[in-house]
Amino acid sequence: MSAQDTIVALSSPVGESALAIIRLSGPLSAELQIEITRKKSRLTERHATLCKYHDIKGLELDSALFLSFSEGASFTGEAMLEIMPHGNPLIIHKILEDLLSRGCKMAEPGEFTRRAFLNGKMDLSQAEAVADLIHARSNYSLEVARKQLNGSIGHKMSALTDQLLEILSEIEAYIDFPEEDLPLDRSHGPVADLKALIEEVSSLIETNQYASLLHDGIKTLIIGAPNAGKSSLINALVGSQRAIVSDVPGTTRDFIASYIMLESHRVEIIDTAGLHLTEDSIEQQGINKTLEQAQSADFFLLIMDSSQPPPVLPAAISAILKPNNTIVIENKIDLAESKACPDYLKDCLHCPTSIIQKQGIEEFKKSWQSFLDKNLGLPNSKDAIVLNTRHTQSLKDSLAALNEALQKLDSQEFSELVALDLRTAIDGFSQVVGKIDNEAMLDKLFQKFCIGK
Amino acid sequence: MSNNFKFEINQEYDVIVCGAGHAGCEAALASARRGARTLLLTGNLDTIAQMSCNPAIGGQAKGHMVREIDALGGEMAINTDTTAIQFRLLNASKGPAVQAPRAQCDKKAYQFRMKQSIEWQENLMLFQAMVQGLIFKGDRVVGVKTNLDINFRAKTVIVTTGTFLRGLMHVGQNKNEGGRMGDFTAKGLSHSFLEAGIELERLKTGTPARILGKSIDFSQLTEQLGDERPTFFAFHDTRGTDEMFHVEQKGEERLGWIPGSKQVSCWMTYTGAETEKVIKDNLHLSPMYSGEIVGKGPRYCPSIEDKIVRFKDKDRHMLFLEPEGRHTNEWYINGLSTSLPFDVQVEMLRSIQGLDQVHVLRPAYAVEYDFAPPTQLSASLESKKVENLFFAGQINGTSGYEEAAGQGLVAGVNAVQKIRGEEPLILGRDECYIGVLIDDLVTKGTQEPYRMFSSRAEHRLLFNHPSAELRLLKHARQYGLLSAKRISAIEEKKATIESWVGRLELERNKGDTYALRLRQSRDMVEFPQALKAASEEVQAEVFYRIAFKGYLERENKQVEKLRHVDKIKVPQDIDYQLVKGLRAESAEKLSQIKPLTLGQASRISGVNPADISILMVYVEAMLQKRAKASSKSS
Repeated sequence: MSAQDTIVALSSPVGESALAIIRLSGPLSAELQIEITRKKSRLTERHATLCKYHDIKGLELDSALFLSFSEGASFTGEAMLEIMPHGNPLIIHKILEDLLSRGCKMAEPGEFTRRAFLNGKMDLSQAEAVADLIHARSNYSLEVARKQLNGSIGHKMSALTDQLLEILSEIEAYIDFPEEDLPLDRSHGPVADLKALIEEVSSLIETNQYASLLHDGIKTLIIGAPNAGKSSLINALVGSQRAIVSDVPGTTRDFIASYIMLESHRVEIIDTAGLHLTEDSIEQQGINKTLEQAQSADFFLLIMDSSQPPPVLPAAISAILKPNNTIVIENKIDLAESKACPDYLKDCLHCPTSIIQKQGIEEFKKSWQSFLDKNLGLPNSKDAIVLNTRHTQSLKDSLAALNEALQKLDSQEFSELVALDLRTAIDGFSQVVGKIDNEAMLDKLFQKFCIGK
Repeated sequence: MSNNFKFEINQEYDVIVCGAGHAGCEAALASARRGARTLLLTGNLDTIAQMSCNPAIGGQAKGHMVREIDALGGEMAINTDTTAIQFRLLNASKGPAVQAPRAQCDKKAYQFRMKQSIEWQENLMLFQAMVQGLIFKGDRVVGVKTNLDINFRAKTVIVTTGTFLRGLMHVGQNKNEGGRMGDFTAKGLSHSFLEAGIELERLKTGTPARILGKSIDFSQLTEQLGDERPTFFAFHDTRGTDEMFHVEQKGEERLGWIPGSKQVSCWMTYTGAETEKVIKDNLHLSPMYSGEIVGKGPRYCPSIEDKIVRFKDKDRHMLFLEPEGRHTNEWYINGLSTSLPFDVQVEMLRSIQGLDQVHVLRPAYAVEYDFAPPTQLSASLESKKVENLFFAGQINGTSGYEEAAGQGLVAGVNAVQKIRGEEPLILGRDECYIGVLIDDLVTKGTQEPYRMFSSRAEHRLLFNHPSAELRLLKHARQYGLLSAKRISAIEEKKATIESWVGRLELERNKGDTYALRLRQSRDMVEFPQALKAASEEVQAEVFYRIAFKGYLERENKQVEKLRHVDKIKVPQDIDYQLVKGLRAESAEKLSQIKPLTLGQASRISGVNPADISILMVYVEAMLQKRAKASSKSS
């Protein structure tokens, strides 16, 4: 928020493109260009220079084009630096992480534009457009964050937040209630609990679960009755793609996931083999598993046999299918009995195909791609990278603070100084899970300790 | 009186304060000391500044606030010092920031001395009458109605009615109307608020029984002595003897005694298995458990029934017996708040070690009362619904004498600012606990009686109690809260401290700088002799700034960063519904709270950083438009 911060963001959409653009705005832009490129002086302004990117440890990450703008003569009106590395998501991720560890802050949605406006680089008539942009971008990234935190990492994070609040509440109890009859055996602080927490946070960072999210794309569920043509559709999509990353047979679930690139979008395709869409009552377990998948899915392809009556969907599934997240594929149009059914899920986009006859597949893929391009409600890999980089950095900050706290507890330092570190750790956590109010700590405190003399 | 200020029914007062509790006294004194013609109304002249609950002032974070009150020219600190019968520094084994002074007071002496200060204060009239309603003119308040059928007119009114609004006391199934045992309740006033569109909600609090000292077997209790070297609340090193009472000595013998003289002891005991049994057997008779009480009570001060039910594995609960004064044999039992029926209370008390023969003077009771959710106030403590109407103290949903006094002082200052058409005093969250208190109240509101905890302050390391006077100096100067003499004494003290801090960083002792040795040893024995001759306050502050330098720098850096958004003022006439891009939920919250700055807006729960970004752009655009319009018209 502060004007002194230097913000950084990935400005280009990410695919396996040739180049990506990472932009910095703020005072650090000037000094960092020297540190990163190891040039003796600042780069020539507004002039593309090819340099090696050195990270904070001195490792070369990539060759990149650098463009430097001085204060007053840039988009935001602040000193700016544009870095154009190769468009590989992992390189981008590493560069962003490096810039954060050098003191930059990840830009908030629309922050470049906002700064441009506040620095008088845009006129008044554009102000409303700026607000709209911030609004749209932030809703978008909130949505991405919500989806990511719905999964196992989300559960893990909220469990860790709980543990951290427990530890802090114990320290705070001894500070704020010195006259209470608090247990003496713990007066040196919750050392063991803190050690356990540190271990869990570092393993969360080390196993790089966040980075693994980078490989996930738009989670797309294929729904259809057994003979509607699901397998052919998957074969048609996956088989024609060289960019398959892996086939992961689900171990605890009956789903097969594959990855494809649809232009700039990375798509994870999941076959819901367990779901039988008939009018009969369906095995509850099958529905539950599919529902579970559907809750965290970003997109749905509903494939139907157009020569048959449209399938009746279980209510829980049809509640999730929306015009902005579902395409209906009317398959088998080559059959004589085939009949268009525009009234079925009528607000959704319908694509007629005969996958066996290789009809309509390219058209479908084009429609699908432009659908994804247009639809801001869906996460793409760019936001995933930004979020993951931001989250990892926040967790690393928290971890450092937790280690500081442990060291202080070990050396029996004053507990209010330990609390200072624990609060820093909470700040890091709240970057990932959202605002953590002091009330949450107090709740824990009053649950745990009998206060009230 | 120098300015012909006389008590006349028909005149228009600058400020009328309704209620002479801890908030009301500070409010009235602050406005009168700033030269405003002030009328203080109380329903009972004999209960001015009464300690309705325990006879103690201070404690963690609260003690800090009392020192802040002193730094802002309030009365609570000096009143405590001169009427206290025991002093203890809490958290003495922790770092300086969280060490906190606490004192047991002589309850009656405290009241009498406060009453005397008010009586002698210039520009301040005291009158006994119960306020039964407010007089409005449009959406402004212009006066008050009393039970004597006398109305008073005023430019501003400060409401400090504590627990007296529709107070309802419970002892078991027995219910009595009143804000405090033995006192009345104020009914009409609630109606006045509702009429003006001010919302009211219910809260609950409680107080333990009082017992007769001669029926206590002290031989079975553990004694708790006061500190040999007491820590006072008032800054004695920057005031002369003539300022001990804030008002000129008028020949009358002033009440109180030499601070720290003749301290008395408190005593400690525990509940036992028998106590627990009595409570469990009678739990159904507690109105809190039978659902009779609807108001929400404080989490930090549960009744003994609550403690026994919620903490089953705790086999005993600690209790403190505190004397209520030098000239009374009445004792307060700290830790035994309850609303059980009286006969059960007696049985329960007699099961406690040392109390088997106890005589109960007054029963414990719970009290429910109306409060006006403080999110209806702006940060100056003025109502957003009714102009010129200020609220302070327990009516804002707080608990505690110190919290009340801090608000009272600020409301008193701001009523005068309002009359003069000047900017209100708004204390920062990074300056003092009172700032945290008021910002929390008006920005977040409260679900339970709000008590200050040090954990509520983001920057508590900056709030070590001896620094209160230095931290708040600029406000004291700007708002004229202290005498010129004391201001210059504080300035001199500040310069002395800064010069010592600079010298110790440079000057060497046995090879190392003094500063380095102090950071390593954290012991004031490392001070040079000349510094040891300075006042204790000076020494404490120099020590803190040197020994904890790194931490203080870290905090100051944080503060600097946050200050940026706190400097951006939000125009008060924004229609948030028109701000494009704001989420509906945020727009609603913002319209309700009407934040003064972007910083305050960002602390409203449910308002996220994107909303703040959008608001920032909107505010800037609004200001640009206005600048253009005014440059055209001129």
